[in-house]
Amino acid sequence: MRLNTASGIISFVRQLESDGAEFYESLSRHHDQFSETFLALARENKKNISEVERAYYSVITDAIEGCFSFDLETDPYTFDKNSADPGDFRGNVSKALEIEDKITGFYLDAANQSGRLMADVPRVFKLIARKRGSRPSKLNSLEVI
Amino acid sequence: MAVLEEPIKDLRIIKNYINGEWVESKGELYDVVNPATGKLVAKVPYSTGDDVDAAVKAARDAFWEWRSTPPVTRARYLFRLKELLEENFEELSRIQTQEHGKCIDESRGETRRGIENVEVACGIASMMMGDYLEDIATGIDEFIIRQPLGVFGVIAPFNFPFMIPLWSAPYAVATGNCVVVKPSEQVPNSQARLTELVEEAGFPPGVWNVVNGSREVVSGILDHPGISGITFVGSTPTAKYIYEMCGKTGKRVIAQAGAKNFMVVMPDCHVEGTIPALMTSFFGNTGQRCLAGANLVVVGEDDDFYNSFVAKVVAAARKIVIGYGLDDTVQMGPIQSPDKKERVLRYIGTGLQQGAKLTLDGRSFEISGDYPDTCFIGPSVFENVTPDMTIAREEIFGPVMSVLRARNLDEAIEMCNDSPFGNGHAMFTNSGKNARDFQYRVQSGNVGVNVGIVAPMAFFPFSGMKDSFFGVLHTQGKEAVRFFTESKVVIHRWF
Repeated sequence: MRLNTASGIISFVRQLESDGAEFYESLSRHHDQFSETFLALARENKKNISEVERAYYSVITDAIEGCFSFDLETDPYTFDKNSADPGDFRGNVSKALEIEDKITGFYLDAANQSGRLMADVPRVFKLIARKRGSRPSKLNSLEVI
Repeated sequence: MAVLEEPIKDLRIIKNYINGEWVESKGELYDVVNPATGKLVAKVPYSTGDDVDAAVKAARDAFWEWRSTPPVTRARYLFRLKELLEENFEELSRIQTQEHGKCIDESRGETRRGIENVEVACGIASMMMGDYLEDIATGIDEFIIRQPLGVFGVIAPFNFPFMIPLWSAPYAVATGNCVVVKPSEQVPNSQARLTELVEEAGFPPGVWNVVNGSREVVSGILDHPGISGITFVGSTPTAKYIYEMCGKTGKRVIAQAGAKNFMVVMPDCHVEGTIPALMTSFFGNTGQRCLAGANLVVVGEDDDFYNSFVAKVVAAARKIVIGYGLDDTVQMGPIQSPDKKERVLRYIGTGLQQGAKLTLDGRSFEISGDYPDTCFIGPSVFENVTPDMTIAREEIFGPVMSVLRARNLDEAIEMCNDSPFGNGHAMFTNSGKNARDFQYRVQSGNVGVNVGIVAPMAFFPFSGMKDSFFGVLHTQGKEAVRFFTESKVVIHRWF
């Protein structure tokens, strides 16, 4: 699906972060040892939605190019939030890394497209992408005892 | 993605809000239709002179008590209103889309801009301060105070049903005046919902009144001796008439009028940033905006630049997704009504008759989703337009771009200044010198550099020149405070 409008982009951000949160919540149920780690990531996903919405609803004005700043297909960024395998910790960590890559990639691509046009929105996209930068090493450091 | 839920579900009979009560008018009821779906969303009364009289009386009766309320207390009602507007942000935005047709991004933008004016008006205690000087002569002090005048009429257009009354009304009431707001009869739901929140914010009865209707209400406000001044936004002929009538009847006036904005593109412009800005300018709000781009002037004699730039503009315009604005994949909604669409079509016909080349024909378009095409129209781009053509001179108020060429910046500025309008001209360039030259010389109240819609923030005045504005002071910000108050100079001596 093609996203051309800021509204569409924000709706997709909600979907990505919510789906990501649900994925981590499922991991927290499957892997007791790291339950709190995964739940913390899920909570942060939900906070990201608030941050993005705050930037969008504060800056969106009738004069900014909200309807013409984006041109992205959603397919490269979507993932299956129900893909966790209860018995495969390493496999689930790999899936988490892939999800992180997709979400971060979406934020950066959206920010690059709209950087000159949407004021605070690409700025918050880049901030969130930067924050997520620490997740791969955190996920890779998880060792089952 | 799914279409967002419509907030107006049942047919609403719009009432007037007078003296803190919702009252039915005896005026005839007219349909309010969703231009995208064709569905009836409300019926609005064409109120009578009696309704206007009742509102003005209520406002005048409320005035003394309200103007005696400390500014900081008046501001607290506005703070509460701001809270309520934020709490109901999404609903207010979707109502605009449902009755006007604009996309949800545009509606949310309009809501944000309207709220910004309430925020600025909350600072009234500072903004209304005067000046004081001791000892203008020994033992004699002189000072200036700003006092409200009474009752103001706020007459609003159809294209920004939520925002435009808020360019005026918050400042009017913050300064201690009372208001009679006349929303556009074509899009009354936005003000109806806003007024419910005004009521919830607890403004005393009579401070904020709303009378719905058409010409009779405008005449009633214009003629009423109990009204001290009027703010108006609309067409140039009507703005001029209101300005003249206010002069005759001693009312102060802000009359914001029509436009024909030139977007001047220099060969050194940042093409990638310029194209989306032009799309917003020419086709945002389906071109129904006094700040919309109307004429694209490509400067220079480099045919390669011209051809490649215009090709990119046309390609971008061709891709615009047209449909119902509550579908958040849609980039351009319908024109607000069938007769407005007819008017745009007539201008397209005139452009063809006068020899312009219709490179992109908006009469042929696809609608995203299953909606009647009654009010829809696609973006149009004319080339080979000359400044004397009707489509280059007259305000079309629709998604029609006329492309002209100018040999150099001087010629481009001359084209802008030859226009009888002076609302929101803009230029696109990477040269500071060009930009300064343009802003210095162009006759336009609002000037953009690399910005396609030159919409001033609420803390700046919404300016305008020539046939785009009649009056002296403007809406928004400090100028609005000056407009809604009179300066009283006091000299004190104590024996």
